[in-house]
Amino acid sequence: MKRLSRRTILRGAGGAAIALPWLEAMRPRRARAAATAPVKRFVVMFSANGTLPTQWTPTGSETSFTLSPILTPLAAHQADLVIVQGLYQQGAGGDGHQNGIGGMLTGSPLNPGPFAGVGAPPAGWATGPSIDQRIAEALAVPTPYRSLELGVQVGAADNWGRMIYQAANQPLPPTDDPAAVYDGVFTDLHTDPAVLARLRARRQSILDAVGAEYTRISGQLGSADRQRLDAHLQAVREVEVRLTTDLVQNNPACHDPTVTAVAAQANDSFPAVGALQMDLLTMALACDLTRVASLQWSRSVSQVRFTWLGIPDGHHDLSHRSDTDTDAVNKLTQINTWYAQQMAGLIDRLKNTPDANGGTLFDNTIVLWCNELAKGNTHSRQDAPYVLAGNGGGPLQTGRFVSYEGQSLPHNNLMVSLLNALDIPDTTFGKPDWCNGPLPGLV
Amino acid sequence: MTLESAGFARRASVGAAALLVALGACKGDGTTTNGAPLCAADPAPAPLRRMTRFEYGRTIADLTGVAATVAETLPPDEETMDFDDIASAYSVSSLHAARYLDVAEQAGAALAADTARLMALAGCDPSGGDAACVAAFVPAFGRRAWRRALTADEQAAMMQLYADTASPGPTDGLSAVIAAMLQAPQFLYRPEPAAVGATAPAPLDGPALATRLAFMLTGAAPDDALLADAEAGMLDTEGGLLAATDRLLADDRAADLFVHFATEWWEVESIGSVDKNRTLYRTWTDATPGALATETQMFLADAWRTGPTLATLLTAPVTFADASLAAYYGLPAPAGTGYQRIALDPTRAAGMLTQGSFLAVHAKADQTSPVLRGKFVRAQLFCTPPQPPPPTIVVSPPVVDPTLPTRQRFAQHTANPMCASCHLYMDPIGFAFEHYDAGGRWRDTDADMPVDATGTLAGTDVDAPLDGVPSLATRLAQSAEVAQCAATQWFRYAFGRSEQSAGDTCAIASLASALTAPGGDFKQMVRQTVRMAAFRTLPPVTP
Repeated sequence: MKRLSRRTILRGAGGAAIALPWLEAMRPRRARAAATAPVKRFVVMFSANGTLPTQWTPTGSETSFTLSPILTPLAAHQADLVIVQGLYQQGAGGDGHQNGIGGMLTGSPLNPGPFAGVGAPPAGWATGPSIDQRIAEALAVPTPYRSLELGVQVGAADNWGRMIYQAANQPLPPTDDPAAVYDGVFTDLHTDPAVLARLRARRQSILDAVGAEYTRISGQLGSADRQRLDAHLQAVREVEVRLTTDLVQNNPACHDPTVTAVAAQANDSFPAVGALQMDLLTMALACDLTRVASLQWSRSVSQVRFTWLGIPDGHHDLSHRSDTDTDAVNKLTQINTWYAQQMAGLIDRLKNTPDANGGTLFDNTIVLWCNELAKGNTHSRQDAPYVLAGNGGGPLQTGRFVSYEGQSLPHNNLMVSLLNALDIPDTTFGKPDWCNGPLPGLV
Repeated sequence: MTLESAGFARRASVGAAALLVALGACKGDGTTTNGAPLCAADPAPAPLRRMTRFEYGRTIADLTGVAATVAETLPPDEETMDFDDIASAYSVSSLHAARYLDVAEQAGAALAADTARLMALAGCDPSGGDAACVAAFVPAFGRRAWRRALTADEQAAMMQLYADTASPGPTDGLSAVIAAMLQAPQFLYRPEPAAVGATAPAPLDGPALATRLAFMLTGAAPDDALLADAEAGMLDTEGGLLAATDRLLADDRAADLFVHFATEWWEVESIGSVDKNRTLYRTWTDATPGALATETQMFLADAWRTGPTLATLLTAPVTFADASLAAYYGLPAPAGTGYQRIALDPTRAAGMLTQGSFLAVHAKADQTSPVLRGKFVRAQLFCTPPQPPPPTIVVSPPVVDPTLPTRQRFAQHTANPMCASCHLYMDPIGFAFEHYDAGGRWRDTDADMPVDATGTLAGTDVDAPLDGVPSLATRLAQSAEVAQCAATQWFRYAFGRSEQSAGDTCAIASLASALTAPGGDFKQMVRQTVRMAAFRTLPPVTP
């Protein structure tokens, strides 16, 4: 246990630097029962609009392979990767992008609902939880945040922009402003412990009273409206649980992150916001504020303009151009390569941050990079691109390129394998008839 | 799901005969002899509403004095059908709960420290901890925050919370009570006394009507006067309800609401995040989106105050600009400082259709888009969205070739019969906008050739050859289909749901009549809304 004496520089909107003392809120008040169990973590990264299979797919054999042009930025980490190719990414309800992003991590179809897709009946939210939420549940993570949803310019609140689901019809919105993430997640760490204890007790009283009102009013309503208030009550209860969870900090690498002012929604801020979010994500893991996190770059149908690569076109517009359009192919290759660099940057951060009990954060983490489509101009989800990094200290063998091409296997099976890789012995995931167990030979 | 299925079954069961009966019961000219709710046959379910961020900010500012912008820290509203208040799209998460807690604490602290506001509510100063005064403050604040009198149980629960938290000082207890009330469902949602298991629609009580009225007309909770009227039973008759409506319609807050509604309807609320290729659009700067947003807000608010007819919205050759925005458009600087109302050339300008915000949103970063502009007219003004392209087609906008004008780049759409079958109803409308570039500025040439802004309006009740936006605007303003669509958009926003039943069809027809009748306008249409059974009554609820 180490006392922390870091200072943080927090820049306000005006750019003025405010120095805050880094207070010692981190002493454990009680040992966590789970602290002795091996720590396991799971991180998801999303990028949009499919990729170019010809530029994405590695060549060679399972253990001796050459990275593709798009994946080249991951070369330094090749021994830690498992590249999975040839699966069919399941999804149904709504248009290809909607059910692509909605089914990507849930392995479940979308409900009917109010969001009018393109060329499809209107669809709602996904019908089951996403893989990260199942992992958080199975690991019974003792951290204040069951999971942390971060994003970069994720756009409107609809089912084109949601990939994480706590349960059916319960999308978890990513926060795409780093300053808001900092305020929401890290504030307790630099609040005086005595002040924090008082604040928490008071908030518990308030939320107890609030919860009682949800119960009261819910009982007066019809079933459909009652479900809405009951879901809200559950959300209030989760915040209450957070208030009673001790901040256990025993990692010297934990320190208050620096958040520089950035216009979070400006197109050209996209790389800077992403870098800040990866810093915050890494530090939230180092400080054991959470063990399950996601980073959603933009959204399905992303129209980010990669001007910093000299590409003025909207990404989605580009993704619909022909395979024989060399200008589009070049630009899409550059865009997807840039995302591979970001994945590499995330891995670098995890590898560069010591874990509490020795080693690095990366040693106890599995990272998954996924996409709502395989290919943008056909909306195909056959041969969807998955890159895993790290084995979470578990049985997954890395340094592999595993192709299931031609086997007609659903990606739900990959989700089962991921659970198994984290020592969660589930045998199925998502919609039952979209799953027939773990992928052969992966874990 | 239950609601959706019920709505679907209801729709499916409506035969032509039932529809005729329902329409017959609804007097399109808005007159009734007995003051009974209009369009009462075949009601659709009324889903539980939650405050949008727009409504939450305005309401919490009214109640506690914090800035309305605190709402910006809440997760964004789910948006569908272009509106932020469609109830079936809501979702809730612990992020919502955490942010509601955070803002409620700020608001509680602000109000607990504001003796003048506390005294105005309670009639005494509760901040010293006087027990009788605290007992007066809780129901007084509760009545405003929950928009009705507290029950004895609710009062007791809040007094208990005060007792538990009034340490170290009484204001700690007051701020805790305020914070709790501002997170309760009675505040964040609009629960209405449901007739669970009943078989017929029930009239809403006064406070529930006041709440519907205030949110629909002002985008905020009812004020003290409206609640007092409601408690006195004055909203229980059509006459009383209309009198209250007229008072709110005269309030500036109704103008804010109209601006909010119309901004979403015209899809211009996203202008703030629009950017253009600045190599091609050299005058577009970081300040342009904000200026275009201000211009449109002022145009809409001015229309509301001076007579918000459909024709004004579609055709008025006026706008607002300051010297900087006028320079952007290539117009002479207006007299006076700041934004001024300026008259435009009626052969070029036509209401919302030539607002820079509208034109820039419905364009690409590097070129105009006859498709997006034509599609908007179809989907948002005629309520007949074109079928999307079949999924097998590789769709992409033509690459910008500076030697070709836009019209020639989109020639494929008419050359290929499969494309033409739908684009025939979009592109020829969009071509009429070709004098306006992707940044909303007038242009005489495109790719060094004179702009050809001719087009065709086809498949509507106002078909015509087109040449420029004013020719389109004039036709749209004469269209019964456009009026019906405007009424449909308002209905969706006002009720937070799609139209689902014969009762809804009847109501929309009645609203459209109020919009187009002699002397009719959007104010008359809003006024007509409160006469509807969908507004005044609550249908039976599934237990």
